[in-house]
Amino acid sequence: MRESKLSLVGITKSFPLAQRRSTDTTRLQVIGGVDLEVAENEFVTVIGPSGCGKTTLLKIIACLLPADSGQVRVDGRTVTEPGPERAMVFQSFGLFPWKTVLDNVRFPLLTRRMPGAEATEVAMTYLRKVGLERFAHSHPHQLSGGMQQRVGLARALATEPDVLLMDEPFGAIDAQTRELMQEELMRLWQETRKTVVFVTHDLDEAVLLADRVLLLSPAPSRVRQLVPVDLPRPRWEYDVRAHPGFAPIRAELWNALRGDLLADRAGQAAS
Amino acid sequence: MTRTPRLTRVANRGSLRRLAPHLGFLATLLVAWQLAASVLDPLVLPSVTSIVAAGFDLVASGELPVALGQSVLLLVLGLLIASAVGLGFGILIGRSRVAHWTLSPYFSALFVIPTVALVPLVLIWFGFGMTGRVIVVVLAGVVPIMLSVSSSLRDEPGELVEVARSFGVRGELALLRTVRLRAAVPVIMSGLRLAVGRAVVGMAVAETYLRLGGIGALIRDYGSLFQTAYVFAAILPLSLLGVGLSALVGLVERHFQGWRS
Repeated sequence: MRESKLSLVGITKSFPLAQRRSTDTTRLQVIGGVDLEVAENEFVTVIGPSGCGKTTLLKIIACLLPADSGQVRVDGRTVTEPGPERAMVFQSFGLFPWKTVLDNVRFPLLTRRMPGAEATEVAMTYLRKVGLERFAHSHPHQLSGGMQQRVGLARALATEPDVLLMDEPFGAIDAQTRELMQEELMRLWQETRKTVVFVTHDLDEAVLLADRVLLLSPAPSRVRQLVPVDLPRPRWEYDVRAHPGFAPIRAELWNALRGDLLADRAGQAAS
Repeated sequence: MTRTPRLTRVANRGSLRRLAPHLGFLATLLVAWQLAASVLDPLVLPSVTSIVAAGFDLVASGELPVALGQSVLLLVLGLLIASAVGLGFGILIGRSRVAHWTLSPYFSALFVIPTVALVPLVLIWFGFGMTGRVIVVVLAGVVPIMLSVSSSLRDEPGELVEVARSFGVRGELALLRTVRLRAAVPVIMSGLRLAVGRAVVGMAVAETYLRLGGIGALIRDYGSLFQTAYVFAAILPLSLLGVGLSALVGLVERHFQGWRS
């Protein structure tokens, strides 16, 4: 079997709870134990109830947070720090407001010591890919949310990472623009063939985009389900939701998720 | 004679219209002043005309330009040093818990001491020359700058630090340079404004009370001679100096924050 592009082995994570006394050491176990193998060029979406650690898991893969135990491996190598082979797209876009669009996209390139002129060229190439080359000298606040996220996407892609980590990237964008962005993302993914881990709370979005959907259980979270999505690609050329294969997949995920949510709520009411 | 281009005429008209209320108010104020002065003792309220005459006299005799030059030099030098010191300590105190616990109390103590109370000590240590006076200005201005730097650096600028880290920015210094300081600029600018105010007041008070030179000394000299018109004529440039420095801070701010518009 070919080696996975991205491996998560035994990832656990807890956070300290607010302490009443300095001797309080209670911790909130958010991730109870997650294992995942992601193949090269695969598009995996991650969903789960609020608080199950979806974003935390993504940050652990990016090495922005340390896991309590377990390892993250890229191409078989354990990673412990952010690296050029992984790039992240943030829910609130994460653009530096004082920089122009172009300088924002150039930022990671310059950080990795690319010469200025080359960085500008590469940045412009990716701005063209997301259709924002005309806004290169504008500032983020002059752009709409959807446009800002496209800048964020261009910035992540410009570093030419192997793995793209996306943290509810369309969460803060209106529904109409979101659909366009989903299509645009799929086109870019098809073209650039990255390995993608995409966190979302939107079940439809999770099924629409994915090769496989990872459903996490409530905290302390584990892999609840890992559902392959066999729907034909490219998925912008037909109405995916109307495809007969869509509903069963969605239903399977929703039943599990809903069951977990209700059980969780009952458990909390009892305690 | 060529006709001025249409655009220029419109612009001129616009700015004149904007200036009109200011000029109108000023004119009214001056007229009221002149009227009041004609009734009151010139010692208490000199007339506008006598103040203007005193002003010309001070400029002609060279007293005002020299004094103003000294004050400006003192303030600019003092504020530059205060900025450097305030920035340095602000970064340290903002980013290190230990530094915060050990050093902050001293800055807080300095902040509440009126500058004039510090002056005698500084003079004993450093004498009446420029050195002592610059130190007075530094002491007056350093704390607001330090506080604004440290408090703004203590807060996380949203997720921007995470963003920078995710793209490979590593280490405290690099993060300071690329994200933290830049995001802290608005707060630091307001601290700088406060520092300018305190520095101008501190300098003026020190110069006045101890006849150290500059504008303050002028005010004291003519005050002791009861030449009120000359006192007013000396105070005006002082206020303009404060306004000028504030405008300078505004320019710096616009350089960093110009993207907001």
